[in-house]
Amino acid sequence: MDQSPINAQIEFRTVTKLYGQIAAVRDMSLTVERGEFLTILGPSGSGKTTVLMLLAGFVAPSRGDILISGKSVAAVPAYRRDQGIVFQSYALFPHLTVRRNLEFPLEMRGMKVAERAQRVGLILERVHLQDFGDRFPSQLSGGQQQRVALARALIADPPILLLDEPLGALDRNLREEMQGEIKSLHKEFGKTTVCVTHDQEEALTLSDRIVVMRAGQIEQTDTPETLYDRPATQFVANFLGEANILENLDYVVESDSAQPTGTVPMIRPERLGIANTATPKSADGDRRQYVAGIVDDMIYAGPLRKYHVRVGGGVLVVREHVASGQQIFKPGDKVRLDWLRSDLRFVTA
Amino acid sequence: MQTLQKQRLTGIGLALPVLIVLVVVFGIPLVQLFLTSLNAPMFSVSNYLRFLQDPANVRVVLQTVQISVIATAACLIVGYPTAYLIVAAPKRLRIVLIVLVMIPYLTSGLARTYAWIMILGDSGLINNLLLQFGIISSPLLLIYNRMALYVGMVHIMLPMMVLSLVSVMLGIDKSLMAAARSMGAPPFTAFCRVFFPLSIPGVRSATLLVFVICLGFYIIPASLGGLGDVMLSNFLASQVTTTFDLVSVATGSFVLLAIAIVVLSILGLDLSGTQGLAAQVPRRSRFARPSLIGWLTRSLTEFSTGFRAKRWTAHRYRPRGEGWLPEIGGKVLVLLVLTYLLAPSVVVIVMSFSSGSYIEFPPSGLSLRWYRSFFGNTAWYGAAWTSMEIGLAVALLSTIVGTLAAYGLSRTSPRLRSTLNVVILTPITIPVIVVGVACYFGLANLGLIGSRTGVILAQSIGAISYVVVIVSATLANFDRRLEQAAQSMRAGPLQTFARVTLPLIRPGIIGGAFLAFIHSFDEVVITSLVSGFSVTTLPLKMWENIRNAIDPTLAAVASLLTVLPMLWLIGMCVVWQRSESKAQFPIPSAAN
Repeated sequence: MDQSPINAQIEFRTVTKLYGQIAAVRDMSLTVERGEFLTILGPSGSGKTTVLMLLAGFVAPSRGDILISGKSVAAVPAYRRDQGIVFQSYALFPHLTVRRNLEFPLEMRGMKVAERAQRVGLILERVHLQDFGDRFPSQLSGGQQQRVALARALIADPPILLLDEPLGALDRNLREEMQGEIKSLHKEFGKTTVCVTHDQEEALTLSDRIVVMRAGQIEQTDTPETLYDRPATQFVANFLGEANILENLDYVVESDSAQPTGTVPMIRPERLGIANTATPKSADGDRRQYVAGIVDDMIYAGPLRKYHVRVGGGVLVVREHVASGQQIFKPGDKVRLDWLRSDLRFVTA
Repeated sequence: MQTLQKQRLTGIGLALPVLIVLVVVFGIPLVQLFLTSLNAPMFSVSNYLRFLQDPANVRVVLQTVQISVIATAACLIVGYPTAYLIVAAPKRLRIVLIVLVMIPYLTSGLARTYAWIMILGDSGLINNLLLQFGIISSPLLLIYNRMALYVGMVHIMLPMMVLSLVSVMLGIDKSLMAAARSMGAPPFTAFCRVFFPLSIPGVRSATLLVFVICLGFYIIPASLGGLGDVMLSNFLASQVTTTFDLVSVATGSFVLLAIAIVVLSILGLDLSGTQGLAAQVPRRSRFARPSLIGWLTRSLTEFSTGFRAKRWTAHRYRPRGEGWLPEIGGKVLVLLVLTYLLAPSVVVIVMSFSSGSYIEFPPSGLSLRWYRSFFGNTAWYGAAWTSMEIGLAVALLSTIVGTLAAYGLSRTSPRLRSTLNVVILTPITIPVIVVGVACYFGLANLGLIGSRTGVILAQSIGAISYVVVIVSATLANFDRRLEQAAQSMRAGPLQTFARVTLPLIRPGIIGGAFLAFIHSFDEVVITSLVSGFSVTTLPLKMWENIRNAIDPTLAAVASLLTVLPMLWLIGMCVVWQRSESKAQFPIPSAAN
């Protein structure tokens, strides 16, 4: 184990996994670089869990190959691989104490008792659970269980860390705290990390790169910012955040860009401005498009206010940050929407 | 794909020992018997025609069905409200009530039968009391008639009915009743429109189970019924032990088996058609026992755990207050049922301390002479020792092969699993006399009649089924991801099993071993057929005593057999509580 590098490169070569006639994953090729934090994002049934199971070695690919640091592992069972996994709802052994849970991977690697105890002590301290070593998992809160699961996955210093919906079982506040914890652990340990989730916020905050999956195939792979700002497809645009699709409307969408990548114009709700019809146009008015509409609904959401505005045969969603001096519109009010033409994106359907 | 297939192959491989034992001891002879009954290789139904042309046979068949129907109906009529009231009771009381019903369920059937002889006999408790108070001048004929037969059969089957129904009813979300009440349904309407329909599938499987077991009754008709109250089992047993007419035994067995199968499938299917669950119900009816035994584990777990989140929703919206009349009526009913179930054992225990040279109630003086007689008589304690040894061997054998099979089956495909499950559970879903007859021929093939090995194999047939059922139920609740977690930490398949799976399913394995032991320790029908008079187990010795001379020592033995399951039960609860409190005790302060 001492010889094993701190992280590894992962490569999927046209991997297909069939269950009967159905392909859970089809012709997937992907490379995860050393030390990278890659998130696989997709709705349920998109094949993302199968990707993780393939990577973990719990299922073998039907076709194609999986390589870890250049060596094929398609035929290597899970228990001969060197990896740490944080399972959905943690899979902590209920019959073992926290300490014994943490010792388990070390014991399986044949480590001496004294060294095991030392490592357990260190990692417990690292995840701030030094007083909880003798508790059973059921005696811990959700956040503490999550930290034990992370510690257990990292304690044997595997080059690869796999996270399966790591924060799914936590409530909102705790989730934010744990996101920070995962991020700092990633930075500190530098493991190649693959995380599977359906939570877009989790994906956006944690990852170096995100893979969006749909029906067993990769829809788009990019950094979080590119993915959100320049989605390639309507599916990605809708799955990651909210999107106004400007299609089949009564007005012409004016476009600046000479060569739009896709055909369907799309704009994010926060890029839209909303104003009283009487408000004078702004200085950069010639770079903007203006349309008139009627407020359908107003949703107050703390820092944000969301308007649904009926415009030319469709409804656009406008997201506005709450600020003082703002005019608040009611359903039925006539309003004028505007956006910078450069904020428009063209996606494929 | 390769790994999956390999896994499935290993799964079948692990089930192989069980399948081999089943096929050799039970399957092959069953087929042989069937062929014999059909006059193979000529193949004709002449034997069946001859069997059914004899009016005496037809009378026995009809009588068997009639007695079983009435006994089952009585169990259902008494059992349903009892189970409902038990489920409705507050938690602590409910657990006490369940344990009180479980004690007779686990007590030796022979001891319970003996108790009724002591109560209903010519010089039994009731006649003695009535004579003493001068109400009658000569003993009433309370025993050896149809009524006594029903009293005994219902006494034996009622705990199983109640426990099965309790298991079903505990699974019904009580908040549904509260919801119905909130929509304006009075308590009784809410019961009829919501609770009752939801309980129907469970009621059906419990009823079918009780009915099929009733079909195979042997001891009660022979010891409490009159000369005319013969059931098919008695008929078959006498054929095997006296005339030994192979063709007629085979034919009779398959007539009985046919009744059981027809009732199991047709009744199950018919009722299911109205519910649109056609494909699942026959299977479910065969799995009635899993629910019962799986529940056994669950309730013990519940017993030992202070708080369970999954039960929380069911209790949150529990409707209260049903009026004083149903409440008092309910209490009286439960009290009567418990008296009926428990009083006979109490009577036997009290009588066993009698100092007289014959059994009387109330005893004129107290002494331990009958216990001394038991421990001083080689025939008695030797039989007990034999039973203990055989019981331990059966428990060991069936626990090992049954656990392997259950574990193996849990990794095969669901379809194969359910098919093999049906095969493995056959010995406890068909009338026991048929199992006995088949085992007799199976062991005869192997030359093992009259040997301990033979008895152990024959008893393991049923015991394995219990182990598979209870271990499978435990495995169904076992989180597979824990095994994956272990493997991701480099634990190989064996290490994973030994370090993670085994410790976590241990309660199920202990429970299975316990039931296997009890099954062996109380077995009469199969054992009496295959023992060939050379192996005397305690039940056989008791049975011989009940039939011939009633030796008061029997009272001491019966009391010991009544106290034994109580000790078992207490011991198991302690073990469970300890392991539970260690692993699952919730500390509220930790939930920050």
